[in-house]
Amino acid sequence: MAETNTASLTRGTSGSLRYAAGTVTALGVGVLLVSLLAFAGAVPTGTVAGVPLLDSLAVVLGVGALGMIGVGAASGAGLLDTTPDHTAGTSLAAVFGVVGFVAGGLVAAQTLGLATLWPVGGLAGAALGVGLALVPREDVALAATGGGFALVASLVVLTGVIDSGWSWQPNGLSVVFSADTTVPLLFGVAGLLLAWVGAQAIAGFGTQGKARGASLLVSANAAGMIALLVVLVSFIAVRGWGPMTEGVRYGLFWEPFTWFQVPIWDQWVIVNAPIVWLYWPFTMEGVAITNAVNGVAPAIVGTVWLVIGAVTFAVPLGVGTAVFLTEYAEQGRLTALVEVATNGLWSTPSVVYGLFGLAFLVPRIGNQSTLLSGMIVLGFMLLPLVVITSREALLNVPDEYRDASAALGVSRWETIKTIVLPAAMPGVITGTILGVGRIAGETAPILLVLTGEPFPAEGPDLVNLSAGFTSSFPFVEVSAINPDALLQSATALPYQLFATITAGVGDLSDGFRWGTALVLLLVVMSFYAVGIASRIYFRRKLDA
Amino acid sequence: MSTTQTEPDDRPERTAAETDERIDPAWTEYGFDSRTKLAVDSLDVHYGNERAIDDVSLEIPEESVTALIGPSGCGKSTFLRCLNRMNDRIDAARVDGSVTLDDQEIYGGDTDLVELRKRVGMVFQQPNPFPKSIRDNVAYGPRKHGDVETGLLARLFGRGDGKDEDDLVERSLRNAALWDEVSERLDDNALGLSGGQQQRLCIARCLAVDPDVILMDEPASALDPIATSKIEDLIEDLAEDYTVVVVTHNMQQAARISDQTAVFLTGGELVEYGDTDAIFENPESQRVEDYITGKFG
Repeated sequence: MAETNTASLTRGTSGSLRYAAGTVTALGVGVLLVSLLAFAGAVPTGTVAGVPLLDSLAVVLGVGALGMIGVGAASGAGLLDTTPDHTAGTSLAAVFGVVGFVAGGLVAAQTLGLATLWPVGGLAGAALGVGLALVPREDVALAATGGGFALVASLVVLTGVIDSGWSWQPNGLSVVFSADTTVPLLFGVAGLLLAWVGAQAIAGFGTQGKARGASLLVSANAAGMIALLVVLVSFIAVRGWGPMTEGVRYGLFWEPFTWFQVPIWDQWVIVNAPIVWLYWPFTMEGVAITNAVNGVAPAIVGTVWLVIGAVTFAVPLGVGTAVFLTEYAEQGRLTALVEVATNGLWSTPSVVYGLFGLAFLVPRIGNQSTLLSGMIVLGFMLLPLVVITSREALLNVPDEYRDASAALGVSRWETIKTIVLPAAMPGVITGTILGVGRIAGETAPILLVLTGEPFPAEGPDLVNLSAGFTSSFPFVEVSAINPDALLQSATALPYQLFATITAGVGDLSDGFRWGTALVLLLVVMSFYAVGIASRIYFRRKLDA
Repeated sequence: MSTTQTEPDDRPERTAAETDERIDPAWTEYGFDSRTKLAVDSLDVHYGNERAIDDVSLEIPEESVTALIGPSGCGKSTFLRCLNRMNDRIDAARVDGSVTLDDQEIYGGDTDLVELRKRVGMVFQQPNPFPKSIRDNVAYGPRKHGDVETGLLARLFGRGDGKDEDDLVERSLRNAALWDEVSERLDDNALGLSGGQQQRLCIARCLAVDPDVILMDEPASALDPIATSKIEDLIEDLAEDYTVVVVTHNMQQAARISDQTAVFLTGGELVEYGDTDAIFENPESQRVEDYITGKFG
């Protein structure tokens, strides 16, 4: 007769364990966050409420470490309802082997002064870490390693081995580490490890604990990713916002049927509707002695024209190639070869394209830096990505569409034009957006083929608006295409940024470069926005 | 081919399968009393070195439903795709033998594939409407063949056939028994329709180019029972004006809707062909009987 299985199907860790381990995890995460903020300089490492920040962090970390050790000890003594494995496993051993090696080596070299014998300390530390992780039962091992390391880190600061005046210049190296950056890093690592072992304790160790620990690490990864992006963008935005918006004036005007000066184009035009007027010197002016606020308008215009030119060059060519490869050519050696070639071209460093443009295009187009050469070189760079992504998008169009069209007696080209290309359009656009993001920020190739004067007063005026809308109302003369601008040198945002940083132009404030960087970021993002909008538009047409 | 008024009593023995002779293309022997639309003679299909269709000959009378049945992989779909040369689209496929449509060879070197596929339409197993509006789907073929001109230029110069196109779309959708369900939303995306509606839209799209023959490759196999019965009713209606050839793996379906049935068995061999009732009630070949009664396949 089958025995009744008495093991309970429900399992919950006890409340006290969950509170204790949860507190440990929260303290670990808290220490990690504050440490990272301190490292980034967002939180001053000076005294807060009379106590140095690093000392208070050390206290918090020490409390967490003691809590973890307590949880581990209670669980090891059988006082808590936990289900630890027999050993903590090799991943914990590997982590604390490395941590032990680094810590042991540093202690041997710095505290004990063992100079060249530091590997002995390192090996001893590694052995200690691995031993603590592998020998005891899982709950004790986790408490001893994670809690122990956090406790040591906390004591190092509290006992004044490392205090706020501490600095360290390793032998033979020219860097100096100060406590302001070293301690937050140390505490960050200790906090992360403490949170990891704490999370495992919440679920009562064992398999459930490992799952909980892993989900904490993965979430921390994602959070770190996002935090990095936010830090990057806000770093630029905070520094660039002021210079970028310097001297902005705006207003609303409504003077029906009056001549009215629009300062952007210095033209008198007739206005018979309310207009919003905006003067934004940083994006509307170039660099000139007469300007109250210097701006990057020429570079914006240059970058926009470069991207438009490159896209005009690369997209038809790339999509055509992709159509040939997927719809006409037989899949075989030729297509494989083209695939290898396009992948290789995509990985080629941009300065190589620039050199090619300088040696090949420039002598053939006017023998000087020209906007046209810049467009073509950037087009060359964009081409492989357009081919790769368009090909992928075309291959993803279901064959059922092609069959259905062929069964109606429609020719291959008509099918491609009407069915296949529209269905592949979102993919093609995605690829183009990605490529534009890359080429809009390229400095090296345009440095070689595009630029002349780094800070011109005016951008390339291919479509010369001020010449175009001569306002002899109601007749508007539009004769604004100026092809000569294609054959003259221009400037672009990444180049101007490069020039500001390297040349240190005296007239320009330090904020100018941050403003330029922010504008470049915004220009690239607006290309993204245009791309995403058109992608959504084409997607809508395809979806029900 | 000859039109005939042969009496049913005169129907000869159907021994082709057992004697391994090819079926005599003289249609009268089978007692069907309409004109031959499609005649297949000694058709072989190879995919690379693999034989998919083995020396098949048969004739399909016009304005009737012909069912092709058989187990998976027996070559019935391949055979169907030979009838409008869709196998041309598969590089590895090689077709030998002859297929005539109204006595004209379709495997000649100078066959106009556009014209052939306009006259022999096809409906696939999975409903495959284009990701466009219902109207665009139906009008796709006629627009591409220049039967209706609704392009921007045509409209600008007053030569647009908007009215003609509307009529054509309505007629095709009515013939496909879909008009009542979609007449209010012709400009909605076709992918928003249910599976059964999509399949009837595909039939309407095929009808819009005014074919003589409609080939259907398991048109109801991806559909639920209600949608299936609608498609079956539609097939029977279509047979009044069109020659319908339908592949199915559902023997009840073949028995319900078809006038004659061809049974393919493994290896691309046509084992038996004739009047549907006769095939299902009194098959000549033991293998066909085993297959129909579910002993194998």
